[in-house]
Amino acid sequence: MSTANLPIVAEGLQRYVGSGDDQVKAVDGVDLRIEQGEVFGFLGPNGAGKSTTVRMLTTLLRPTGGSARVAGFDVVDEANEVRRNIGVALQDAAIDPLMTGAELLKLQAVLYGLPKAQHSTKAGELLERVGLTAAGDRRVGTYSGGMRRRLDLALSLIHEPSVLFLDEPTTGLDPMSRISLWEEIRRLNNDGTTVLLTTQYLEEADQLAERIAIIDNGVIVRKGRPAELKAEVGSPTLFVSVDASVTDGAKVLLEGFGDLRPSAEGTLGVGLDDGPAAVSNVVRTLDEAGIAVKNLELREPSLDDVFAEATGYRLEGADT
Amino acid sequence: MTVSEASVLTPRRSPLAQSSLAQTWAMSKRSVLALWRQPSLVVPSLIFPLFFAALGTSSFSRATSLPGFPEVDSYLDFALAGAVAQGVLFGSTVGATALATDIENGFFDRLLSSPSTRSGIIVGRMAGGMVFGGAQTLFFILVLLPFGLSIKGGAVGVLAMAVGGTILALAVGALMAAMAIKTGSSEAVQGAFPLLFIGLFFSSAFFPRETMSGIYGSLADINPISHLVEGFRDLTIEGLSASAVIRAILIPAGLSVLTVALALRTLRSRLGAR
Repeated sequence: MSTANLPIVAEGLQRYVGSGDDQVKAVDGVDLRIEQGEVFGFLGPNGAGKSTTVRMLTTLLRPTGGSARVAGFDVVDEANEVRRNIGVALQDAAIDPLMTGAELLKLQAVLYGLPKAQHSTKAGELLERVGLTAAGDRRVGTYSGGMRRRLDLALSLIHEPSVLFLDEPTTGLDPMSRISLWEEIRRLNNDGTTVLLTTQYLEEADQLAERIAIIDNGVIVRKGRPAELKAEVGSPTLFVSVDASVTDGAKVLLEGFGDLRPSAEGTLGVGLDDGPAAVSNVVRTLDEAGIAVKNLELREPSLDDVFAEATGYRLEGADT
Repeated sequence: MTVSEASVLTPRRSPLAQSSLAQTWAMSKRSVLALWRQPSLVVPSLIFPLFFAALGTSSFSRATSLPGFPEVDSYLDFALAGAVAQGVLFGSTVGATALATDIENGFFDRLLSSPSTRSGIIVGRMAGGMVFGGAQTLFFILVLLPFGLSIKGGAVGVLAMAVGGTILALAVGALMAAMAIKTGSSEAVQGAFPLLFIGLFFSSAFFPRETMSGIYGSLADINPISHLVEGFRDLTIEGLSASAVIRAILIPAGLSVLTVALALRTLRSRLGAR
């Protein structure tokens, strides 16, 4: 398929900040090919380059190098056409707290050139869609975090965009609000909207995205379907907690069962080459060496393992 | 939806026709609404200039007989132009502070990611301050009329001052907006506020240039605020004249062109544009 037909294409996208010795490569040669109707997850920790990439793709930041086309238009030379075709919900629910939800939706309708007769109808439909009909005439300053996120999503949908960018849409939300937003994203995708979703939650990427890219230090280190990436990790990971005084000895013994993998402090992780059957041997070997095991946990390959293998560390608070 | 089910994207020009005027108007209404909903931000810039005008009138009434002082019925007539300039300078920072707050809370990015014109975003945000600038001018005149203020320029003179006040609010608001865009900090905008007062004090806002000497007089001579204020003042104490109307309106208009251009340039720089 020609890249001209893809809703999001980036080739060697770069954004450097500063100059000389102080230059920081916030995004360093990102390539993306996101297909029509896809939910694509862009996964990485804070400061990895996710938001900077999204800001370049949404025309909010000019790339230092490389190129990108969104909805078929160049993000630099045809920025206004890009803006007409995309919906954007950036981090932290960017909403004016002095206005009501309905007022903001109507303002958004004007900015995107909807006919005046449609403003109220469209605002009412979107408020209903995100469950804010009752709060539509209240100032946004009185909304909860979850309500603000839902309104933010509604604002990005006013012109029925073909491509939707969601930058960490559920960060800081309680579990119920997060699930409710996931359902809305799935509904949108079922209606044909292409979604680029950035997140630092592995579970979110696993739940929503058909394909993911893991970005670290401005570089994409893994890309593919979650199931395939997990399969590449291969063996399950056994996490073993031992006393700090015997950690070095335990490491040497565990290396006999497979490669050591990144793990939380105070825990050792090993990929079991022989699968779950090796667990009893691990316990016996450590026991024979006089190393007491405080805790033991076997996990099938997860995106957390994919991330750890790709970056050499685990995402803080990873929940999968 | 799976990828295979999806249709292939065909790049299409949006059928929606954005009107820059409608966008600017909508954003202007938003900024006026914001002022209306935050009375605590606007009340000080209505009260303090009146306070200074009252203080000046009660303390400096004998100054009107100094050599170089224009012939006036009362110091109040002389003080009106300074009060208007002071009030508008004070009030027009409110819009820039609101813009900095938009940047801080991310709403500015939402506007920038929409197909709105950049000038519409800036001018729309300044519109609240402009409406307020015109309203302030009329408010000061209406409040001071019962205390003996007389406007020799009549209704047309009042209108010219209101228009001048409105445009001055844009000029100063856009200057502060450039600072807001550069720093993205509402504190920085508020911190720069005293600089405006330095500009006001080195002008003929409170005393005629004819009574000044040395560096103070030289700075007042080249300060555009002096000439603007004197346009207002001539409309008040001398009457309607083309020269006064031009100074009252064209000076802030010229400043506006410069400061709006500066704000847009700063915005382009912020976005990393060529």
